[in-house]
Amino acid sequence: MERPILWIHGEALGPANPALQAHPDRPAVFVFDAELLAGRSPTTGDPAGGAPQAVSLKRIGFLYECLLELPVSLRHGDVAAEVLAFARAHGADGIVTSAGTDPRVEAIGKALEQELPVEVLEPEPFVQLDGRVDLGRFSRYWRRAEREVWANWSPQQ
Amino acid sequence: MATDSLSGAPLSWPEQPGELPRQFESRQALEAELQHLFPEAEGSLSPIRGGRHQAEALLGRIQPARYAKGRNFLDGPVTRLSPYIRHGALSLAEVRDAVFARLQAPGGGGRPAGEKLINELGWRDYWQRLWQQLGGGIWRDQEELKTGHHPGTYSSELPADVAEGRTGLACMDGFIAELHTSGWLHNHARMWLAAYLVHWRRVRWQAGAQWFLRHLLDGDPASNNLSWQWVASSFSHKPYFFNRGNLERYSGGSFCRSCRLSEQGCPFDASYEQLEAELFQPLPSLRSVDAGRRERSSPRSSGPSAALSRPTRRH
Repeated sequence: MERPILWIHGEALGPANPALQAHPDRPAVFVFDAELLAGRSPTTGDPAGGAPQAVSLKRIGFLYECLLELPVSLRHGDVAAEVLAFARAHGADGIVTSAGTDPRVEAIGKALEQELPVEVLEPEPFVQLDGRVDLGRFSRYWRRAEREVWANWSPQQ
Repeated sequence: MATDSLSGAPLSWPEQPGELPRQFESRQALEAELQHLFPEAEGSLSPIRGGRHQAEALLGRIQPARYAKGRNFLDGPVTRLSPYIRHGALSLAEVRDAVFARLQAPGGGGRPAGEKLINELGWRDYWQRLWQQLGGGIWRDQEELKTGHHPGTYSSELPADVAEGRTGLACMDGFIAELHTSGWLHNHARMWLAAYLVHWRRVRWQAGAQWFLRHLLDGDPASNNLSWQWVASSFSHKPYFFNRGNLERYSGGSFCRSCRLSEQGCPFDASYEQLEAELFQPLPSLRSVDAGRRERSSPRSSGPSAALSRPTRRH
């Protein structure tokens, strides 16, 4: 893709975002996710719970202040629809984003792919662990991870 | 403040009609605009500011060695980086590298001084990996409860006095007020509040987890829900609870001094053995626990009971 736009999501509001690093000059957009903010997604509410409860203004304000420090346009509504509208407005031929942990990021990426090619860049991990990782308890994970994290360490600067 | 204006970073493309504003005269103007744009969202801005600049300022003040010693105290040298990490204003890899650089600097203390802080960053990474694996299933009990109570005996609603921060307990009402106004709580306070709600008030952890997610600036279902499950015992081998001695010690006694239940009626003022008998139905696995070990082992992280070190897993 030659003229992508960047979709910035709520796990990557900083300069370490690999999409921003790879394409610092391309238009970027963040969408305040109406469903999520209303408490109607598993990111913010119990799917089996009763009445959804909207996220408080504090959290929106915190995101907003993070976003104001980034070169990114801001929208509100249905994320996939708004990202695609932004892409059309900028004549984009694709969308670049960063991988997220929240399954909602991947689901939105799939919706975007219905209309435009999507490239997902991996952020630098805290620790690279290859193969299956036993997450049954923290201690099992940490037995492997601790060694790898400290492998990058050297006592000298 | 006179220099309070907020301007978005410059864009090299034209803004489109309908996009949200990026220039504000003041933080108050931002708050008013957000109240207008997001009428469903309750409350005000947090005194904690978002953004990379603030994150870097906090990162510059981390003290790995002091953190390792004092992190369990409410006024201890915790990093307060969690909201910035949760939203990627800082990545966990960047924090890791900053900790390494601090340890390598003269007087930084080397690896031993940083092991605890790096371990706590590991907790964040661990929860994230579990979230990826569990997806929406992170809202379900990972294991059976070990409290001896049937899951159906827990209320699914947050009690009104808790939601309004008027339980009459100075500690809990203090934590609730801080949660509601700042959106950040020290991890020990989160655990006490969670244990109070789940074990003393017999409320489903999901109701508490959802309440926290509405307010916490660092809220995500990974660290949040799985820590609630750890307290509830659906993701640990026994329930987490505490007593007055523990809370008083790590809060410097500040709540108990002003609590009208301090002399009589404090529900936490008992030994671990008494509270265990009061709160839980006998279970073989609970009976075998030496409750006294809880207190001693809580600030440590060695061996298979690493989960007991959780009081300051968050930053």
